[in-house]
Amino acid sequence: MDFIFYMGDVFTPVNFALLLLGTVGGLILGATPGLSPTMAVALLIPFTFQLEPQQGLILLGAAYTSTVAGGAVSAILLKIPGAPANIATTLDGHTMALNGQGAKALQVSFLASAVGGIFGVLLLIFLTPVLAQWALAFGPSHLFWLAILGVTVIGTLDSSSVVKGLLSGCIGLWLATIGFDDIMGAQRFIFHSSLSGGINVIPALIGLFAIPQVITMLTKGRKDSGAEVITVQRHPIGAAFREVFSRLRALSIGTAVGSIIGLIPGVGGQIAGLVAYDQSKKFSSESEKFGKGHPEGVIAAESANNAMVGPSLVPLLTLSIPGSPTAAVLLGGLLIHGIFPGPDLFMNYPAVAWTFIDSMLIGQILMCIFGLFIAGLAAKVARVPHAVMAAIVLALAVFGSYSVQNSMGDVYVMATLGLAMYFLERFGFSAAPLVLGLILGPIAEANFIQGSMIANATVGLGPYFFTGALNWLLIAIVVVSIGYSVWMELRQRRYTTKDDAVAKEESLT
Amino acid sequence: MKKWIAGAAMALTAMSGAAFADGHGDYPERPLLLMVSYGAGGATDFQARIVTMTAGNEDALGMPIAILNRPGAGGRVGWNWFATEAEADGYTLGAYNIPHFIAQSIEGGVEYSTESFEPIANWGADPAVFVVPTDSGFQSMADVVAYATENPGGLTFSGAGLFVGHHIAALQLEQAAGVELAYIPNNAGGAGAMRAVIAGEVLGGVNNLSDAFRAQEAGNVRILGVFDLERNDFLPDVPTMIEQGYDIDNASVNFRGVMVPAGTPQEVIDHLAAIVPTMFENGRVASRMEAGGSPMHIMTRDEVLEMWAARQETLEALLADLDN
Amino acid sequence: MTDLPRTQHIIASGLIAAVGVTVAYISFTQEPAQAYLFPRMISSVFAVLAIWTFGKALLGRTKVGNGLSAEAMKNMLPGLIVMLVYVFWAAKALGFYTATTIAVFIVISLYDPAPHGAAKTWIKRIAITAGFMAVMYGLFALLLNVFTPREVFF
Repeated sequence: MDFIFYMGDVFTPVNFALLLLGTVGGLILGATPGLSPTMAVALLIPFTFQLEPQQGLILLGAAYTSTVAGGAVSAILLKIPGAPANIATTLDGHTMALNGQGAKALQVSFLASAVGGIFGVLLLIFLTPVLAQWALAFGPSHLFWLAILGVTVIGTLDSSSVVKGLLSGCIGLWLATIGFDDIMGAQRFIFHSSLSGGINVIPALIGLFAIPQVITMLTKGRKDSGAEVITVQRHPIGAAFREVFSRLRALSIGTAVGSIIGLIPGVGGQIAGLVAYDQSKKFSSESEKFGKGHPEGVIAAESANNAMVGPSLVPLLTLSIPGSPTAAVLLGGLLIHGIFPGPDLFMNYPAVAWTFIDSMLIGQILMCIFGLFIAGLAAKVARVPHAVMAAIVLALAVFGSYSVQNSMGDVYVMATLGLAMYFLERFGFSAAPLVLGLILGPIAEANFIQGSMIANATVGLGPYFFTGALNWLLIAIVVVSIGYSVWMELRQRRYTTKDDAVAKEESLT
Repeated sequence: MKKWIAGAAMALTAMSGAAFADGHGDYPERPLLLMVSYGAGGATDFQARIVTMTAGNEDALGMPIAILNRPGAGGRVGWNWFATEAEADGYTLGAYNIPHFIAQSIEGGVEYSTESFEPIANWGADPAVFVVPTDSGFQSMADVVAYATENPGGLTFSGAGLFVGHHIAALQLEQAAGVELAYIPNNAGGAGAMRAVIAGEVLGGVNNLSDAFRAQEAGNVRILGVFDLERNDFLPDVPTMIEQGYDIDNASVNFRGVMVPAGTPQEVIDHLAAIVPTMFENGRVASRMEAGGSPMHIMTRDEVLEMWAARQETLEALLADLDN
Repeated sequence: MTDLPRTQHIIASGLIAAVGVTVAYISFTQEPAQAYLFPRMISSVFAVLAIWTFGKALLGRTKVGNGLSAEAMKNMLPGLIVMLVYVFWAAKALGFYTATTIAVFIVISLYDPAPHGAAKTWIKRIAITAGFMAVMYGLFALLLNVFTPREVFF
């Protein structure tokens, strides 16, 4: 119960002020399109030079926690996910906002984030040694199958046509192969010098989601359609509480999937939200409501992406191996104070380690309180006229994608992908599967090649990829996932007419 | 209106600033960038952040240095950008890793070579080491080589990528011991390669001394040998490869330092070359580097130029042998 | 006009099919083979799916996607031109802050429904642009320390 003993340290005036600063700052940075959690944390590192180790980590931990949740704000209100983790939130969250339920969607999302987040941190506190073994269990063959599992989600994600969903995913997978390949160092598909570094996920994410939104606003023209873009109905916080806790299935699936997948180094954070969304859609008795503004979609996605925060630190704190880019930055923050993470971290530096974890726990609650406050302001954001909104989002997209790597090339890539995506969307393709392909492509490829190199040196390809309980478990889930999608597709075909599909499209745009 | 006035004022300052830069009167008069061709949190990034933290001091450059990460393909993405697109105005610095970029330029397919860059100063030298999981049966390099002799091409071991220091070390080991090994490059860099060792996905690995030292302290790996000419202060008990009977020099030692693109004005290079090494010598930097387990090795511009030329020769010979 | 989406669908899916086939062709002809192993796998699926979609469009059996109406295209055109000039030329050539100020101001002016004649409208537009740019400068230049291209102006 050491974590309770050190809880008091979080509430000393300086520490608590830093916690507040990290939380509020993280929410704002997270809600700004183009600023990923990794960047936000990296940008804070220089500030921590001046602080005590304990204080520096409180700041970083709070910022990490709240940037992940802050990304939901722009995902819901503008359909622009703040980070890859928030992609799944756009699917139902933005549709809810279009239906006038923006405030409700934000409240639900922050509450679900807090529930998932607290659960994740508790896992970190109580089960770290067990989880560390699990984090190591995933070798190249397992990560390959996991990426394939992600790909199977593509076809059913946010698209009325499975073929077009898969095609969008393939385009994403192909875009991911542009540039130097990570292992051999060969240059592939470089048609323009802006592409020589490959397509960075963050600028691509900004372009694919933000630019189509900008153009859609422009197509409304100079109509005097009243100042409001979308209405926002008031929604009492109490009702949001009841809403979240009455949908226990989505909440628990989201939290569980987020905690498990978040643990896997290198993959987890980016796809936890999407996999949780897909799973709760498949298990839900109201699966047809998903994608049309169903609160369960938001709950599953947001509880998953915050549940992943705690477990994603397990490999870092126990094995000194950063499991995600953000964790890598946190490692830098620890090392700079001469603190080596490892099994004896909690013995050697209990005041630092436990206060850090406690601050993430308290940070989740603060994040939720501020988030609910922000949700109250949603109506104001929605009242911004579309002309102003289009201009602001365009400028933010340009600045955001530039600042990832200080590169004009990234801005060109962002704008080109965004323009293409607008036209693709008009013809039934969607951005979410495309981004998923872009994220999963490198994971699938690198692990396939590494796996086959190891396999060729040892047991051979077949045995390497097809033996072991974990491989078979993943393969089984892949097969079930594909089978379920095919079954749903066949079942729906009987009563889906062209008019239904068109009606759904209209409601989405 | 205020905005316009402020904008005009800023534009004026910017232009007059440009004029100063031409005359090098007040260089540097705005913050500098240091491009690191590896991801945030990696060893190079981490060390670059520490050694540049005192840049803003009056007795140093007087302006802070911001870190810019351009990771990808073992550093090729960043160095390609640095050689072709970075402006040679003295405000864009780059971090180099030797032997990485020289080996890659010899191998081809990239747009840089030692001619594309001008070194400023070296801050660290991080030798490669051979690690095995703690529960491994291998107790010395002799055990490793014996296994590889029995199973040609069956000894899997991880490293940070192709044509980086770890790969060079692996090639030297193959050559010196006369065995065939299965080098598995990891896409997630040194950290990913270390994970593969700890998880037992591979039988061993080549990794940075600084990272391996931490992992050994944590009880996750055992270090069997150092790919350097002398034992390291951090690991006085670990023998070098030469001591264990393998003729391997320090060609794979990862030298890290600061450079600028070729074409940067000579005055700027001289100014940086005079000041940057003193920045590295700052006591605060040294204590942070020590605490982080990162071996320092400060070299001036002239020493680095010599070292680059020497490495170019060694690596050309080594890689030429491989092609045969 | 009912045939407009169908023609558009044929053009759009035709373009995608062309990209798919080109990608597949490049993947299968380039060396080294090991580096192109994965692109070969993807591009085969890509090309097959793209051709299938093209076929469906030719037969007029496309179910989803509404295409583009003439009105939407007319409305977006001026904004699109501003956007292209801003992103692909002005941002780099004029400097980020100058170009963004101009682009934001033009887009707001073009799409703001308020009457162009009134002085109040213009004051409001200038105020919004200036306020937004101040926030951007504070966030990116001061807080995040991002050095944006400043070239001719700022």
